[in-house]
Amino acid sequence: MSRFEVPDVDLSQYSMRQTVAPPLAVLVVALAVIGGWMATTGAPANPGIEFTGGSEMVAESDASQSEVRTAFETEPASIRQVGTGGDQYLVTFQTETVPDIRDDASVSIDVVQSQEVSPTFGSSTQQLALFGVAGAFLGMSLLVFALFRTFVPSIAVVVSAFSDIVVPVALMNVLGIQLSLGTVAALLMLIGYSVDSDILLNNHVLRRSGGFWESVDRAMKTGVTMTITSIAAMAVMTVVSYIFGIQLMTAIGLVLVMGLTTDLMNTYMLNVTLLRWYKFEGVAQ
Amino acid sequence: MSWLRENWRVATLALLLVASSVALFAPGVGASGGSGGAAGGQQATAASGPTNLNYGLELSGGVRLRATVTGVTAEGVDVTVDNEAAISEEVAAALDVERGDVRARPAGDTVEVYQDVEPSALADALTAAGYEPDTTRVGVTQATRDNIVNIIGSKVDATGFGGADVTDIETQTGDRTHYIVVEVPGQNASQVQSLIEGRGEVELWAYYPGDNGTQQNETVLRGEELVEVDQPDRNRQGRPIVPVQLSQDAAERFASDMQRYGFTSQQGISNCQFPDGGYCLLTMLDGEEVYNASMGPTLAPDLQSGDFVNNPTFTITANSMEEARTLQVNLQAGALPAELQFQDSYYVSPSFADRYKPLTLVTGIAAAIAVALMVFLRYGEPKVAIPMVFTALSEVVILLGFAAVSGLALDLSHLAGFIAVIGTGVDDLVIIADEVMTEQVSSSRVFQSRFRKALWVIGAAAATTIIAMSPLAVLSLGDLRGFALITILGVLVGVIVTRPAYGDVLRRLLTDNR
Repeated sequence: MSRFEVPDVDLSQYSMRQTVAPPLAVLVVALAVIGGWMATTGAPANPGIEFTGGSEMVAESDASQSEVRTAFETEPASIRQVGTGGDQYLVTFQTETVPDIRDDASVSIDVVQSQEVSPTFGSSTQQLALFGVAGAFLGMSLLVFALFRTFVPSIAVVVSAFSDIVVPVALMNVLGIQLSLGTVAALLMLIGYSVDSDILLNNHVLRRSGGFWESVDRAMKTGVTMTITSIAAMAVMTVVSYIFGIQLMTAIGLVLVMGLTTDLMNTYMLNVTLLRWYKFEGVAQ
Repeated sequence: MSWLRENWRVATLALLLVASSVALFAPGVGASGGSGGAAGGQQATAASGPTNLNYGLELSGGVRLRATVTGVTAEGVDVTVDNEAAISEEVAAALDVERGDVRARPAGDTVEVYQDVEPSALADALTAAGYEPDTTRVGVTQATRDNIVNIIGSKVDATGFGGADVTDIETQTGDRTHYIVVEVPGQNASQVQSLIEGRGEVELWAYYPGDNGTQQNETVLRGEELVEVDQPDRNRQGRPIVPVQLSQDAAERFASDMQRYGFTSQQGISNCQFPDGGYCLLTMLDGEEVYNASMGPTLAPDLQSGDFVNNPTFTITANSMEEARTLQVNLQAGALPAELQFQDSYYVSPSFADRYKPLTLVTGIAAAIAVALMVFLRYGEPKVAIPMVFTALSEVVILLGFAAVSGLALDLSHLAGFIAVIGTGVDDLVIIADEVMTEQVSSSRVFQSRFRKALWVIGAAAATTIIAMSPLAVLSLGDLRGFALITILGVLVGVIVTRPAYGDVLRRLLTDNR
């Protein structure tokens, strides 16, 4: 049986500039995408109806997508197929209530799930979600600083967690994935995942005996295993739940795969470089 | 005893697993659906199927509505039993609303207006009348909300929707917004929505030619004046009716009104040409005419002779049996003091929701297999990998056992929480395994010191996850709360019991000495 081995990457052969540039560039691009989104749409992401208000339904029908589209009294804002069964459609409307099916519609449509949100309720949910993510991030940052009590290693964890959230949000914008309560939950999970590998790295470098590169190497063996295992689990979850049409799990899985991949880059390029600077130059000053 | 002291974690893990399995599968052990209300207003459906788990609305099907109550409240008004009526009348006149839409409460020193008016307008009206309020705000009082929750509860019950749950929740965002939450399993959104749309105020109006020749409308009977409301029935002509009985006072007033307006006169009987004139009795629901009837030839003499007052039974007529049932439900439960504004509704059909359960299970199993495969590929040693996968899954079993015992109604958000728990669990187990296996473990003492170091990382990571989730666990909008609670709980169980237990098991397997 072929074994999965964490590849030995000798990071010491690269200069600090070489290892820190890619993650920073990605972060800057992500921030630019989010900034551009804000300038053009007025929001940093694509908020779903849970945050903007509107209505949405899952309709089951043997008819084609275009037939379902024209079957409602109000034209849907969007319609797409859910799952791979071929008879379920997710139909979104800008109206606050789900419109009726036209009397003269020739197709039979079965509404199996529907959701209606008023704009005021949506904005209050949005406020709550924003408050939740901000509170979670702040609490995490404070605790990290309390744990390590030194500035550079602590800020390294915080910056990398920040990037782990920002990059998936930018990717969601580009890929057209909407921000829903499910994806907000996934972004919060990313805080937890991101901090896991960062704390592991900091712990190996700061609190353990042995040289810097030896410590990084050991932390990497464990950390990369952790993250790759999680990515594998989430990728499988994304694919299987997509086939079954469980949208919440697909959204969570996809965001986590994007975030964990970002984390791999951030932890072992950005974070390692910050620690390297701290160990070899920061402390000497 | 010394065995137990050294292996208490493994012993606890085994105990928790057995307890959870019993809680999950033994018949009659799980909490009954009734206690599900404790879980933040989530509706628990009585456990059925192979496990004792309760499923929330999203996994069992049904409808959930969230609504706010229309109204403004002034607080700190000097309301007494004596000036209560005067305040209400003055405010109603000043704001141009009906007298019934203003409620002054001596108990809380509050004045409420159940209409969409500006709080400042209420403040001005009260100040002008000489009652300076401390504050005015959008929203109604707790007493009104309790009343609304009770009325909706009896409406839902009277309709025969089983297992419904009506609660009042508060969110900390915005200006302390309260929501009335109605959850009804197995029904669709429009059925429930129509039940609580409008205030459900049933009245009987007299429609008759006035003195100057134009038609007049006068309220002659209100829902609250009835002492008994019977099940809908059909009268001799096959018309759907709701038999009701009036209170003594109401009967006297009704009889005299009918005579005064001319309904008992010769041209008043059987002479309704609504809306073109004549003498009609109109059944009104929230100010809309639902049925118009003529004065019956048998009722008129009874009203005149006084027989009606001695036996004040009456029938309210409707167009259809369904309409009659709506009227009966509204009469029985009473009218809501204020209108509700729907903020959010969620509906999922029971058959569709049912499908989520096995599919979610299969998805979870697929993800678990992926984890197991990765772990086997990485370590190549079953001694390390098998207990690892076993430990990760046992955390889920323990959490499910907890859910069964506490009657927590599982929803999609909880399932997301399970994913998070498995994710952090695998991370921690990999840390433990790697830490322990870096070099040949020779003695139990070396193991202990390495294990302790690994525990520091795990503890620190767990603490950050818990801190990160806690804002969501206290903010109560329901949807993300379940996710945060399960994640926190799972991390706690994992860090205190299961993940260290894995370390103990690994030590036994790798050191071989004792």
